[in-house]
Amino acid sequence: MRDYWLNKLFFDIQQPAVAAEYKKDRDAVLARYPMHAEIRRAVIEDDIAALAPHVNAYLLRFYYAILGVKDAEFIKRLDELADSAPAKEKV
Amino acid sequence: MAKLVGIFAASHGPMIAREWDSLSPPTRTLVTEGFEQVGQRLMASRPDVLVIVSPDHWCNFFLNNFPAFCVGIGEEHDGPPEPFLKTRFNHPVLAGHAGLGRHIMDTALDRDFDPSLSHRLTLDHGFCLPLWRMGIEPIPPIVPIVINEVDDPMPTMRRCLAWGSMMKQAIESYPENLRVAVLATGGLSHFIGEPRMGQIDETFDRTCIELFTNGDPAKLAATLEHDVRHTGNGGHEVRNWVVAHAAAGNKGFELISYAPLEEIYVGCAFAEWRVPT
Repeated sequence: MRDYWLNKLFFDIQQPAVAAEYKKDRDAVLARYPMHAEIRRAVIEDDIAALAPHVNAYLLRFYYAILGVKDAEFIKRLDELADSAPAKEKV
Repeated sequence: MAKLVGIFAASHGPMIAREWDSLSPPTRTLVTEGFEQVGQRLMASRPDVLVIVSPDHWCNFFLNNFPAFCVGIGEEHDGPPEPFLKTRFNHPVLAGHAGLGRHIMDTALDRDFDPSLSHRLTLDHGFCLPLWRMGIEPIPPIVPIVINEVDDPMPTMRRCLAWGSMMKQAIESYPENLRVAVLATGGLSHFIGEPRMGQIDETFDRTCIELFTNGDPAKLAATLEHDVRHTGNGGHEVRNWVVAHAAAGNKGFELISYAPLEEIYVGCAFAEWRVPT
């Protein structure tokens, strides 16, 4: 199931000003997005396995790219998801 | 009356722009030749207007408002917002064709479609990357058509065929003496932000190519409706090709080139449909 505010955060972070603020003061930005507590925890702990089922895959990709995660590392983490999950959620 | 003078398809992918300077020579050659072929054929058709069918990659629409179809009916549209593309494709504003856009919108409503409309769309890499690589200058006025292909639920393949047929009727009933070309962008298979990212589903791609070559719209819709649910999320962009297929009267296309280019994460294909005379 989608978490609307998680998706909204990952959508908004495409704006350079939001991305810059997020990198400088993540908590201040997160405070504006009333996402579920478990989702918020997953963001803070960078728990991609917990985030992926709740966010559009394109937005997930944008988020990690904006944070500066290299594609090779991102792909490795996605592949680890596949290994641990029986079926992927289609977007 | 307006006339359909050419219908084309070209893949797109951000990596083509973002990593252009570091792509391997074989990939650059395949991508360059494909886009150049489409660009040359498109310009040989001497279009006065270019209808481009593409998804919106989370630039114009979000989950609070996500239309299945949107028609750009403005005099102008904004160029790409992506930093990696706007430095290469210096078109902060692109001319629209409000008259034809409005006519497509009116025709859609008259044929019982209920699309969204926009007087000013932001045209992301789905629209602008092919324009950049095709090197078309000057770029004809554009009528952008956005189809939701990035988040469920999406329009069915059957609906996309109907939309393409409607678009053909709309263009051919526009009272001005215009030459109109259609460009469908995106596809074929790719996996974005999900497991298998960077891989290509060549079986899906070759099925698409066979279906688009042979014509039969019922088989095309039924097969793709199933297969698109079993490949990467980027494969949903094949809906644009389905629209183009119907706009060409379901006559089938000529494949210009295809290559499964893992380096740019895309099953990369270029094609031209046989336009009814």
